[in-house]
Amino acid sequence: MPKVKIEEKEIEVNLEENEVNQIKTFLGREPNLTELGMFDVMWSEHCSYKSSRPKLTFFEDAEKNYAHVLAGPGQDAGVIDIGDGYCVAFRIESHNHPSAIEPYHGAATGIGGIIRDILCMGVRPIALLDPLRFGNLKNNPHSQWLFKHVVRGIADYGNCTGIPTIGGEVEFDPSFENNCLVNVACVGLGTIEDFKHAPSRAYFPGDFVILMGGSTGRDGIHGVTFASRTLTEMSEADRPAVQIGDPFTKKIIIEATLEAIKTGYVRGLKDLGGGGLSCALSELTGDGGTGAEINLRNIYMREPGMNSFEIMLSESQERMAFIIKPEGLDTVLKIFQKYELAHAIIGKIDDSKVLKIYDGEKLVVNVPSTALSDAPVIQREERRPSYLDDLLSQQTPELTRAIENVFYELIASENICSKEWVYRQYDHEVGIRSVVKCGDGDSGVLRIIGTEKFIAISVGTNSKHCYLDPYEGAKESVVETCGNVIANGARPMGMVNCCNFGNPEIPESYWYFSQAVKGMADICKYLRIPVVGGNVSFYNEDEVTKKAIKPTPVVMIVGLIEGEDNIVTLPFKKPGNDIFLIGETKAELGGSEYHSVIHDLEGGVPPKVDEQIIKKTWEFLFELYEKKHVLANHDVNKGGFIITLAEMCFKNNFGAELDFESQNIELNDEEFLFSESTGRFIIETRPEVREEIAQMAQDHGVPIMRIGSIISEPRILIKGLKKRKEIELDVLKMKHLHESTLHEIMDI
Amino acid sequence: MTIKIAVIQFPGSNCDLDTLHVLKNVINIEADLVWHNEFKGSQYDGVVIPGGFSFGDYLRAGIIAAHSPAMEEVRLMAREEKPVLGICNGFQILIEAELLPGALLQNDSLKFICKWIYVRIETTDTAFTSLMKRGDVLDLPIAHGEGRYYTDQLKELEENDQIVLKYVDRKGNTVKNANPNGSLEYIAGICNLERNCLGLMPHPERASEKILSPFATTHGRLFFDSMIEFIKKGV
Repeated sequence: MPKVKIEEKEIEVNLEENEVNQIKTFLGREPNLTELGMFDVMWSEHCSYKSSRPKLTFFEDAEKNYAHVLAGPGQDAGVIDIGDGYCVAFRIESHNHPSAIEPYHGAATGIGGIIRDILCMGVRPIALLDPLRFGNLKNNPHSQWLFKHVVRGIADYGNCTGIPTIGGEVEFDPSFENNCLVNVACVGLGTIEDFKHAPSRAYFPGDFVILMGGSTGRDGIHGVTFASRTLTEMSEADRPAVQIGDPFTKKIIIEATLEAIKTGYVRGLKDLGGGGLSCALSELTGDGGTGAEINLRNIYMREPGMNSFEIMLSESQERMAFIIKPEGLDTVLKIFQKYELAHAIIGKIDDSKVLKIYDGEKLVVNVPSTALSDAPVIQREERRPSYLDDLLSQQTPELTRAIENVFYELIASENICSKEWVYRQYDHEVGIRSVVKCGDGDSGVLRIIGTEKFIAISVGTNSKHCYLDPYEGAKESVVETCGNVIANGARPMGMVNCCNFGNPEIPESYWYFSQAVKGMADICKYLRIPVVGGNVSFYNEDEVTKKAIKPTPVVMIVGLIEGEDNIVTLPFKKPGNDIFLIGETKAELGGSEYHSVIHDLEGGVPPKVDEQIIKKTWEFLFELYEKKHVLANHDVNKGGFIITLAEMCFKNNFGAELDFESQNIELNDEEFLFSESTGRFIIETRPEVREEIAQMAQDHGVPIMRIGSIISEPRILIKGLKKRKEIELDVLKMKHLHESTLHEIMDI
Repeated sequence: MTIKIAVIQFPGSNCDLDTLHVLKNVINIEADLVWHNEFKGSQYDGVVIPGGFSFGDYLRAGIIAAHSPAMEEVRLMAREEKPVLGICNGFQILIEAELLPGALLQNDSLKFICKWIYVRIETTDTAFTSLMKRGDVLDLPIAHGEGRYYTDQLKELEENDQIVLKYVDRKGNTVKNANPNGSLEYIAGICNLERNCLGLMPHPERASEKILSPFATTHGRLFFDSMIEFIKKGV
């Protein structure tokens, strides 16, 4: 790390030498210690997006190109209009580094931060979702420890705030062993009026600056710079950089903030997250084209003797900065008093365009308000990794065990097994909106009380596929996550993403990021899905092997369902009904669970997205929905379509009889059964409409296959494959394996 | 006379709006959300203490709220034989305020549990179960970390018919894996001697509308409907 000499002291900073020189030019003098600390934080990768910004221009302008987008990237959260006077705000963020060091508080404060972002848009947070990634659990106490405490951190925090955790995703892969990924997503609901009156920045001189909520302590100082480095063995010593959350205070902050906003006196609002007061004040004034005079001694502090550097960089949790109209000051403060929340008037907005911060009488910070958010952009080098060709050319080995056992092993494997152990610990019903609950669908479906509308929300990606081909893998992430909400009957309305990648200074890592962003941007443009926000987390590397994590561009999709009748769920409903496989199955075993679980193989040819077929498939499904032909639907994902179909049998202990004799399958059995080709669904329909469906598919140009029927006995019979005459699977055994894996590992 | 119910809001209550919604829009009666410091029992015919984490459940679930002045008002209401319902955290508060006997300990799994379970009605002689039948099996969801009921006065509770709900399987049997949290004698809810104060761990407000139930049932609303019946009879 470079060192800078300030006030006779040698200071370690994360800034490059030319960045330090730039700061001097901005100020026309040497920065003092506090100022340098603020620049250090604000110009960190985490706050400034200095490496990622050049690539984020790939995304089309959501606000400009989509009428229903009310707020796009650059805001605290994306906001879309869902009709009937309601809007939905959503955002996803990473809290990887803190969680890898201190899983319980790292995960908990991640939830805390994302809730504040939604609150800043003036709407009530109504749902949480958490995509998580760890090393494999089996015989791995470290991964089990991380997993257990991350889940508990999310549960304790989310449950207490009264926001249901309605979904998520967990992937296990050795690349996450020492750098687990904890992504947190939140959804908010409000009226369009709420959004119109939502506070924004500090535009008006004379307004008061109030700091409300938790006290300011020494915890979390330099949390963001810590997040902008790779984890090293020294990181254990960084544990004080992890903040401690207080969900009870957060719950009261939510109520008090919403009540305060309703008065119309709150003109600006910013949560104190990464970068603490430095970030909040510079964004409020910098974006507002104003300045401010702040006195640090008015701040409610947790411990005595904190200096200005510590106060400005503290990332103590549960704090919000309010910009209040002078005539509304008493009204707003009364609300804070009712909720018994600590608060202080810490300064006033002025038109100086300068942030002046006093420590008592002493002027300790004197910087142009835009300077802190004006970090230089860095053009990084990118290079396709040389090892990829070898990986892509890996061949699937001969299967030497009984194929029945492959299904049993897959259904019990960590990435496919039921995640009930996780979601039972989350209150997923508080708020009485959860209509499709955890485990009953591909996405979480919430009702919008007072309307006939429902929103479906899903998060996900496939890190193994992205590792082999980040461009196609990222496209697939969008298609599959949309597939999850579509399976429940929803039309995708908007997307946000959370990019988790390695060190951007390494060209190979940066190439992954660049390719993934391009993939997401291209497919979203083609499918007409607005990208309304995103978050980038770099420097995710294994401290021991020095290898980057598998690239993980997590996608979050919000979809809309009109009317209760149009909600579709996962379980098979009635024996005798038809089972259709929608979409084409190709020889795409690369990065599949079949390769990793059965053959311990990472490579092969991963799925490729045919966006034209995807678009047609979706339109075909929506037409089927309109005609009420679909009784159950499940997006085909990890493990291939038989695994998908088995999951649909579990709830009612049904089975299926499948016959491929007349289908002339060209793929070999393993490819056909276990390929994870993108954009497929298994649906249940009535036999009466069989011909009609076939005709509709033909008209749409969508490949479909009637593969068999639902039966009342809990067994799956597969006939007429290329090599194997008949396979019989025991559904009850599969169900038991599916449900018991995590309990057996985690409940000791 | 119009019936009016209060839903008390403590800092950290989080099922307050849900309960209010059910009372107003499902049961269709007048109901107010009242901040705990401003609560006056004399203005209401009945009161619900909703679920959540009052005062963060710091120290012990429900104990700080139990010392709020609001609970003095609730105590008065109970004495005046008005119906008092405590759901989840509300049950914990009623126990800590000694309006109901026993204790609610951490679940035996040591984990928070959110799932739909079955309960059996043990008595219909309360302000909240009069519209049910003894032995009825209801679908209700639970969501709690500290719901393991314990008491050293089990015999008295049984003799006085104070056990109102028991965790059972779908067929109505008290079998071991039907007990989600390790409660003594499968107890999910109890009432006071006067039978106008009920505390239960399951959430009836989450089971009052068909659309929210995995079984398309509305068993939860029976508690609220019975409460209204009870008030009407009193009048």
